[in-house]
Amino acid sequence: MRLPTLRSLLLATALAAAPSAHAADKPASLGLGVFTFLSGPAAAYGLPGKQGAELIIEQINAEGGIGGVPVAATFVDEAQGAEGVISEYRRLAESDSVEAMIAALSSGNCLALSPLATQLQMPTIAWNCDTHQLFLKDASSYYFRPNGNTVAEFVAYVVYFLEQHPDVQRVAIINPDYAFGHDAASIVKAALAALKPDVEIVAELFPKLGAATYQTEISRLSASRPDVIFSNLWGGDLENFVRQATPRGLFRQSTVVLALGETVLQSTDLPEGTIVGVLGDGWWRSPDAQRIGKAEAFAEAYEEKYGSYPVFPTMKMANSILVLKAAYEKAIEANGGEWPSQEQVAEALKGLTVETMTGDVTLREDNDGVVDQVIGTVGSEGDLPSIADMARFDGAALLPPAGEDPIAWIETLTPAFLEGQPKPGSYQ
Amino acid sequence: MPKPLIGLAAGVALLAALPLAVPFMTFVVTLAVAKGFAALGVALLLRAGLISLGHAMYFAIGAYTTAFLMQKTGITDFAILVAASIIVATLAGLAFGAFLVRYRAIFFAMLNLAVSMVIYALCSKLYGVTGGTDGLRVGVPTVFAWVPEKAAFDTFLLYATLGLMLVLGWLGHRYLKSPLGHALAAVHTNEVRLEYLGVSAWSTLLTAYGISAGLAGLGGALSAMAIGHVLPEFAFWTESGHLVLTAVLGGVGGVAGPFIGSIFLELVHVVAVGVAAEAWNLIIGVALICVIFFLPRGLFGLIEGRRGKTGGTDL
Amino acid sequence: MLQTVAPLLMDALANAALIFFVAFGLTLTFSVLRILNVAHGSFYSIGAYVAASAGLFIVGAGLNPWLTYPSLILSAAAVAALFGPLVEKTLVRWTYGRGEAVQILMTFGLFLILEDLQRMVFGVNSLYEDTPMALLGITEIGGVVYLNYQILLIALAALTLVGLRIFIRHTRTGRLLHVVVADREVSEAMGIDTGRMFTLAFTLGVFLAALGGALATPTTGVAPGLGAETMVLAFAVAAIGGLGQVEGAALAAVIVAAARVLAIYFAPELDAVAPYLVMLVVLLVRPYGLFGKAAVRRI
Repeated sequence: MRLPTLRSLLLATALAAAPSAHAADKPASLGLGVFTFLSGPAAAYGLPGKQGAELIIEQINAEGGIGGVPVAATFVDEAQGAEGVISEYRRLAESDSVEAMIAALSSGNCLALSPLATQLQMPTIAWNCDTHQLFLKDASSYYFRPNGNTVAEFVAYVVYFLEQHPDVQRVAIINPDYAFGHDAASIVKAALAALKPDVEIVAELFPKLGAATYQTEISRLSASRPDVIFSNLWGGDLENFVRQATPRGLFRQSTVVLALGETVLQSTDLPEGTIVGVLGDGWWRSPDAQRIGKAEAFAEAYEEKYGSYPVFPTMKMANSILVLKAAYEKAIEANGGEWPSQEQVAEALKGLTVETMTGDVTLREDNDGVVDQVIGTVGSEGDLPSIADMARFDGAALLPPAGEDPIAWIETLTPAFLEGQPKPGSYQ
Repeated sequence: MPKPLIGLAAGVALLAALPLAVPFMTFVVTLAVAKGFAALGVALLLRAGLISLGHAMYFAIGAYTTAFLMQKTGITDFAILVAASIIVATLAGLAFGAFLVRYRAIFFAMLNLAVSMVIYALCSKLYGVTGGTDGLRVGVPTVFAWVPEKAAFDTFLLYATLGLMLVLGWLGHRYLKSPLGHALAAVHTNEVRLEYLGVSAWSTLLTAYGISAGLAGLGGALSAMAIGHVLPEFAFWTESGHLVLTAVLGGVGGVAGPFIGSIFLELVHVVAVGVAAEAWNLIIGVALICVIFFLPRGLFGLIEGRRGKTGGTDL
Repeated sequence: MLQTVAPLLMDALANAALIFFVAFGLTLTFSVLRILNVAHGSFYSIGAYVAASAGLFIVGAGLNPWLTYPSLILSAAAVAALFGPLVEKTLVRWTYGRGEAVQILMTFGLFLILEDLQRMVFGVNSLYEDTPMALLGITEIGGVVYLNYQILLIALAALTLVGLRIFIRHTRTGRLLHVVVADREVSEAMGIDTGRMFTLAFTLGVFLAALGGALATPTTGVAPGLGAETMVLAFAVAAIGGLGQVEGAALAAVIVAAARVLAIYFAPELDAVAPYLVMLVVLLVRPYGLFGKAAVRRI
């Protein structure tokens, strides 16, 4: 055997991936690359996203697809790390089987993919990642994020718990040890310093992503006696933390703010009074979602198919695909009914405003989305997951102007800023 | 022209031509050869009977050097970045190696692992310097006065990587045939006899360790440019394990082995991702055990064995 | 004073108990077989998966919840009975006398295979099964609420340490193991079935790893990647104690745990680095670990 394996393999690969002609003719199907976490602790968050994509695509196709073309998704697991994610992105893009991407969940992967989207001229929608660093460094004409970013999200949480607990003195933070957690911590600290300067940060912990045990962290939090504990743990980590902290009385001792708490409403017994919410407006039972009238049917169909109600990553994913659909429809119209090129789709995404299942989203000039924030408190339980005492914060009011240093912007806020903000319970 | 050279020429020509037919292969081949450099570094130490479970740290050091220089100092020249990455990785290798090469066997493997895990943890913790777990972005380098587009640079990078493989492969071959290279194998067979001959095992091994770190650093720098992003995972211990695996799979008998192993693995990966993505680790795990059982000299041993050569190095 | 020190001590011991079993198993395997089992962490996570699944089954079937306790131990025993002899007789035995590189690679190959097998069998979602913890209730120490299960775990770790010391020093099988460790050839010449001893020691190592995983499930979640993480931690502990040193592993587990706890309390940013920094410092001063002895150079 003298290398025949290697050679035939090379040949086979070469033949299999021979490039096909690229044209803006109406394709047989609209290929969509969808990136999310399908394994590892983050899958607890990524899988509902994947299922959201499957269901919304099924529904879109049942109604005739986008511009008469059915959508076909290829899913890629983000748990393989940036190297694998990048090479899969390139492989999909260069094989011409895919016209647009929904990528990605994690901020690290979004940061790695956004320059690639521009290089490969691939319209890409960041369906979940929300780091405010994404569009600070370099503008991309093909990368869009129709979601909130971390600044709007976590300033909203600070405003909410300051309104609900005006006497707060001691605040502790426990966030995952990577950019998302560190960014959130600096935003929370900056917002507290600006809005209520006498608050003391008594503990700041950053457990490793995917940590199995939080017992020592829980002791440390408990020993520092905080009035409020803020956390943006998520996925399996959040569930793990809640399950370990509940029996140890942490939720009785302090008011806990779980920025991604809506995702574990169904899987854990969150104590009453815990502040939870979604990132963005993707709460499928919010008053606006009911007014628009699509989310409930979607949730019922989701429950029937997957056995539990959607969580906000599901809604974010479905909404992102609806944004892409709207962009295609706009591009087709602008193109006189012809199938648009990828450049035209990217063009159509610029400045687009779409009514999703849970509210309006507008892509502003730096391609970042302006979305409202929905926050509430765990109330008495019913059959369906529920959030009480809700407030809906205007996304535009909480977002620093495009290109401005977000932390510096937060520092310009004053305690008077609180007065203009919606109060807990005002959103009904 | 002797037969092995024809094989070499054919192999390199194939690697060079493949991306012309399949554009996506540019990335795959570049990455495979880049990792091949790191695997070659590991293979050098394996010849001395030393197994390093931490060499991914030098790969990471090289990658981070490139990323850091580009982002924080504005140096973008390809040659400077590559040279700097090799130098930094080699210096790190000499610094750690001075202490590490005093140990053998499992203690060597484990101490390398310990150091690499500290590097890994530092990469993910020093948020301000390394970007934490988000890592650092690597832009498109320039080549002397040329400021290429990403696509053009990728093509350049492929051929530059292949060129480096030929040059460094030849140098590595010379090194293994030199007294210093033979002394390396002698450490494995009989270290004390070597010292009676007046050759210091410590300096022999330190030289090899420095070279292997430099090679890993080069692999890291090239990978960083190909991928466009560097992450702490580059230094995780399983990555080190993969480097050893690549070297053993390809065979540590000659410089071609680790490259063959690396290219083979990447190509199988490309195929497997479509068919059996879930079972990727399973496949290479089984492959590794089969190689240990049946092919102690790796894939390279297959070719070499055909030529009727005996006395090649196995584990 | 006691108010602040008590929780620290409690946390350190609880943490040490969590990593003690798996590190102990690793060091025991090494002391008898002279092999560094890179797949050791996988047995920890398999033990955790099996125990969590068994617990979920017991609760789901409406059986007496106290059955989850024997099921923790039985799960670990089942994992050991299945994997111990199988792996030792097929893969590990082949590597004896073939150099460390082959041993490490063989077990690394096994590690890769087991990682994927776990994903295929147990899926990718995290498992939680905390019935044993919930049954025992809580205790307040120094103003901080602790789980009685954590205290039980500390006691179990101490018992295991004492029990194994007695087993190795004072039983016939234990002494035979000792003899095999001291000199393989002589013990074979004296008619000791070394093959059986190796299988026994390896299986015991697997059992301890699986037991560590199983006992951890009531207070932790189980997710893919747990094996690889645990492996390096066990590595660090075993290396600090001195590979093959049973008492060393116990002390090292406490040291590593204390370092992590101190980091979380006083310098949270050092949390992830702490075990490895301790390992590096110890190995710089004592390269063969706290209790280890230098290997004799071969001629």
